[in-house]
Amino acid sequence: MASLSEEVLLVVKKVRQRKQDGTLYLMAERIAWGPEGKDRFTVSHLYADIRCQKISPDGKAKVQLQLVLHSGESTTFHFANESTALKDREAAKELLQQLLPKFKKKANKELEEKNRMLQEDPVLFQLYKDLVVSQVISAEEFWANRLGGVTNTDPAQYKYKQEVGISGAFLADIRPQTDGCNGLRYNLTADIIESIFRTYPAVKQKYNENVPHNLTEKEFWTRFFQSHYFHRDRINTGTQDIFSECAKQDEKGLKSMVVQGVKNPLVDLLSLEDKTLDEGYGVCGAQPSTSNSNRTVKESSNYAIIKRFNHHSAMVLAAGSRKGETPTDQASETSSTDGNSRDSDFFQPPVKKVKLQEEYEDLQQENRPKTVPLNLKKSDRYAHGPVPLQSQQYTTSQDIINSVNYIQHEMANYKPNLTQVLSSTVATSAISALSPGGVLMQAGAQQAINQMVPSEVQGELKHLYVAAGELLRHFWSCFPVNTPFLEEKLTGHLEEMLQTAYNKFHIWQTRRMMRKT
Amino acid sequence: RDELPRLLDDGHGVLEMPSGTGKTISLLSLIVAYQRAFPLEVTKLIYCSRTVPEIEKVVEELRKLMEFYSKQTRESNNFLALALSSRRNLCIHPEVSSLRFGKEVDGKCHSLTASYIRAQHHSNPSFPVCQFYEEFDAVGRQVPLPAGIYNLDDLKDFGRRKGWCPYYLILHANIVVYSYHYLLDPKIADLVSKELAKKSVVVFDEAHNIDNVCIDSMSVNITRRTLDHCQNNVDTLHNTIHKIKETDAAKLKEEYRRLVEGLKEANVARETDVYLSNPVLPDEILQEAVPGTIRTAEHFVGFLRRFLEYLKSRLRVQHVIQESAPQFLKDIYDKVCIDRKPLRFCAERLQSLLRTLEITDIADFSAATLISNFATLVSTYSQGFTIIIEPFEDRTPTIANPVLHFSCMDPSIAIKPVFQRFQSVIITSGTLSPLDIYPRILDFHPVTMASFTMTLARTCLCPLIVGRGNDQVALSSKFETREDFAVIRNYGNLLMEMSAIVPDGIVAFFTSYVYMENIVASWYEQGILENIQRNKLIFIETQDAAETSMALEKYQEACENGRGAILLSVARGKVSEGIDFVHHFGRAVIMFGVPYVYTQSRILKARLEYLRDQFQIRENDFLTFDAMRHAAQCVGRAIRGKTDYGLMIFADKRYARADKRGKLPRWIQEHITDGSLNLTVDEAVQLSKHFLRQMAQPFRQEDQLGLSLLTLEQLESEEMLQKIAQVAHQT
Repeated sequence: MASLSEEVLLVVKKVRQRKQDGTLYLMAERIAWGPEGKDRFTVSHLYADIRCQKISPDGKAKVQLQLVLHSGESTTFHFANESTALKDREAAKELLQQLLPKFKKKANKELEEKNRMLQEDPVLFQLYKDLVVSQVISAEEFWANRLGGVTNTDPAQYKYKQEVGISGAFLADIRPQTDGCNGLRYNLTADIIESIFRTYPAVKQKYNENVPHNLTEKEFWTRFFQSHYFHRDRINTGTQDIFSECAKQDEKGLKSMVVQGVKNPLVDLLSLEDKTLDEGYGVCGAQPSTSNSNRTVKESSNYAIIKRFNHHSAMVLAAGSRKGETPTDQASETSSTDGNSRDSDFFQPPVKKVKLQEEYEDLQQENRPKTVPLNLKKSDRYAHGPVPLQSQQYTTSQDIINSVNYIQHEMANYKPNLTQVLSSTVATSAISALSPGGVLMQAGAQQAINQMVPSEVQGELKHLYVAAGELLRHFWSCFPVNTPFLEEKLTGHLEEMLQTAYNKFHIWQTRRMMRKT
Repeated sequence: RDELPRLLDDGHGVLEMPSGTGKTISLLSLIVAYQRAFPLEVTKLIYCSRTVPEIEKVVEELRKLMEFYSKQTRESNNFLALALSSRRNLCIHPEVSSLRFGKEVDGKCHSLTASYIRAQHHSNPSFPVCQFYEEFDAVGRQVPLPAGIYNLDDLKDFGRRKGWCPYYLILHANIVVYSYHYLLDPKIADLVSKELAKKSVVVFDEAHNIDNVCIDSMSVNITRRTLDHCQNNVDTLHNTIHKIKETDAAKLKEEYRRLVEGLKEANVARETDVYLSNPVLPDEILQEAVPGTIRTAEHFVGFLRRFLEYLKSRLRVQHVIQESAPQFLKDIYDKVCIDRKPLRFCAERLQSLLRTLEITDIADFSAATLISNFATLVSTYSQGFTIIIEPFEDRTPTIANPVLHFSCMDPSIAIKPVFQRFQSVIITSGTLSPLDIYPRILDFHPVTMASFTMTLARTCLCPLIVGRGNDQVALSSKFETREDFAVIRNYGNLLMEMSAIVPDGIVAFFTSYVYMENIVASWYEQGILENIQRNKLIFIETQDAAETSMALEKYQEACENGRGAILLSVARGKVSEGIDFVHHFGRAVIMFGVPYVYTQSRILKARLEYLRDQFQIRENDFLTFDAMRHAAQCVGRAIRGKTDYGLMIFADKRYARADKRGKLPRWIQEHITDGSLNLTVDEAVQLSKHFLRQMAQPFRQEDQLGLSLLTLEQLESEEMLQKIAQVAHQT
């Protein structure tokens, strides 16, 4: 076997795959698994094909490692050796962690680019699935004018993808769960940890200082959640907490931010007032003192919460606007712990003059090129989406007025004829038909269509719609038809494509109808 | 707006116009046109605004107007208009201007430009002086400023180029724009606005708080710390006098001679040696000579000592005392034999002494100045003031912290000279409703009172009154339900739901700091804030101005970059007074509760009593008026023009009542429909969604033509003129 000549980096025995025992081999360029006693690999993946690896949580009974490929498939390995399962898995994970990035770079650049685009844009991915996977159009055609756009424009622009900001509520997302016996469990994901590090560089510093030598990762986070740093409303009690220093650092950062002042003169409250009253003048001279000495415990905890929110938001903002800084870039990370040295560079307030001059656009002469404004016939419909189609006749207002008049007239001349009344059952049914929800009152029940249709149907319909739109885009991009190639495309397979798409829609529709009935 | 011409002829007026509708420019252009047509009738326009950015904005508007004039008439006009501000904003001396606080700048400037310092510099050139002032004094004094429009920065530029100090370039401009402290606060007005011609037009912009400004400028608080400082000051004075007596007795004699002659002083000294001048000096004092008992320096220091001891003894009380000025004067006469007359001269005498003793650092003597000002005020006015001595704060009855409040209750005292002197005074703001109360509390008779609304091509504001939570709990910040968890929770829900549907910025106002802190804490405990954070970042105003500025800047940054943010703030706070939230900086304003003033304070009680007795204004009326003007002020922060749009949510069921609603400005009131009076949170969310969707549509010039925007042809057409006249008639 050719593969045997490869360098084998790690062999792990007793690894199950699809309920079959076997051995896992990590080689120089691929990972492979063979069942017990056989001499061939039933599973073999090139590292370049692997997108990522996932591991089962620590507490689970099964110790597993999952590989996700670029194609979307995945393979799961179950480490079954009772005594060393965890260790085996860690070893494999560590090795993979080192190997995978190397091969990522090697992968085909264009493929990577396509992959990246599909990953970053879920709509595009769906479109790809709808059109290419279901063979409405070929992959080349699909990519033809997309990648064209990519290569034509400056590739540098695409290289630096927009940094994803941090959710303001990432701390809130860590929902503590009770684990049954008097304890709390926090689920931390890599994302959350990253968010914490990016927002609170001080915590990251602590992590770097402590984690390998003094504490395990788990212990570190346990302490983090126990600390009053996390629960800021608790009042500082002990100084043993490793995070108390973080709090102090934050305080310092906040203070330096405050001292630095603001650059936008329009929001600087200190210089807003032209002439402040001197000390001792004014009615409300006796301000409640803000010093901490005579604040009650409750007040100072409230104050701490407020401060914390301001700081948190500022840090989240600062972390979001930080560009080009990779998380591994520790030097710059620690040097700018206060979160303001960097944003001072990025947030340049517009020139004061510009802000002072209030311009009325509508009083200016229009210089911009004329655009075609969106002309909505029924803006209501645009704003609210379609309402369910019902067999209803549109009545003009004149009709309504007439009928109201008629009814009024009728009512005025109405004389109860008690001998000729309806039976009670008929009356009840008439009333129920006329009450909300009844047969005759359907027009009154203004139920939005998006509430009536299940979301999965909506989703499917949306996909079909987008796919059809994409096809139409292809169609319209052929105009004006000035090359034979375009003509061929138009008369040839585009028509075919549209037909396919229509068929697809038809199939979906009938399937839906069938399911409904 | 044809009310104005009538107004300019003679008399005063009150105008309410929503902000962003060109209030400033229409006033300016009318008055300037009037000034051009009748240069003898109106010689000067004094435009007073509230904050530095607002002042600068006015000047920019003016610049545009002048550019238009010169374009139309094809000749350069010789108008001179300038903005005026404190030394802190105008100083160009490299050392002095680097200081951060106004007081420091003033003190430093004084120590470089006072006349005796300069005299010393003459004999000894190494003595530091301000070269800009020297230059100005040598050359600039005779050369007038070339005509044009000068903003603060332009003035500084001009000063730098010429090497002259811009602060002293105060000249005879046609239009002066400055903060209204310069006109109302007698301590400054005396310096800056004294020589303004009678035929001037005065405009107070953003004047909804003008009564409080008046009151603030006339009120004094004295604590034990002030007295201790003052004691030190008096000791210093004593020592200095002693020293001078040994070395230069002639100086003191000279001063004595001058005091006999009266207080009329050389103008030069007045201009340079700017002391915190005297609060409302009655004219007769200027004519009279300083009474003999305090004419010599030693006697005066002794007099101050006695007065100080008396105040100290008054502060040693165990219970709250409230008395009137005459009572106080009688008591002081009985106890330490101080007459009314020397007290009245106290402020002026102290300044004279400080000048004679050549004390450089006047900032150090602020305590003594305060005490002497108090002495003068208390002996001058028998009406409209009250003295309250509190031995401790109400919240902390165990900690002794005696304070003597000398508080003015009648805003008309400070503004009276303005109304008397100038031929027309215009008070204007976006929120002045109800209009009739201002003339009453300021004691003047307006010729015109009008409230204008906006002509809108689309209803760009959406006031909603949310009176109930989804669980039908009545929402209110009134005292009884303040701590109610159900109310707090529902308020939280409201904010949370809004944070999900409103784009960009939301500003929420609470009634007080304490209330906000409590609510924020309980929202935090209930996890509401965490949920809000999913949608937007949260920034909170604190009592520290620098911290709040930072939060504000971050808030704007967050709105700017699309993340969206919520600013929790306080009505009556600094943010609600001076910061505009244009366009995406404030798509919704939520007013949690009715911002009543803290009614338990004794000063307020005294003032309410005074209002009832003097002006026949009922307590409740005034309190509601005050609360509603602040609410309107907060809510009005979001709409700054007809292209702007925003939600205004009043979250308190009391807003639905007619007496509250009727006190909102007309331009807000007319958009409150009966259907939006007592909404639940859910209903409000639905309405808001609808409104926001509609507003998000592109808004073009064509939509406004003929409604809120007129072309020249339309403006000249007969039909339109009639329509305008009709609208004007209605108002």
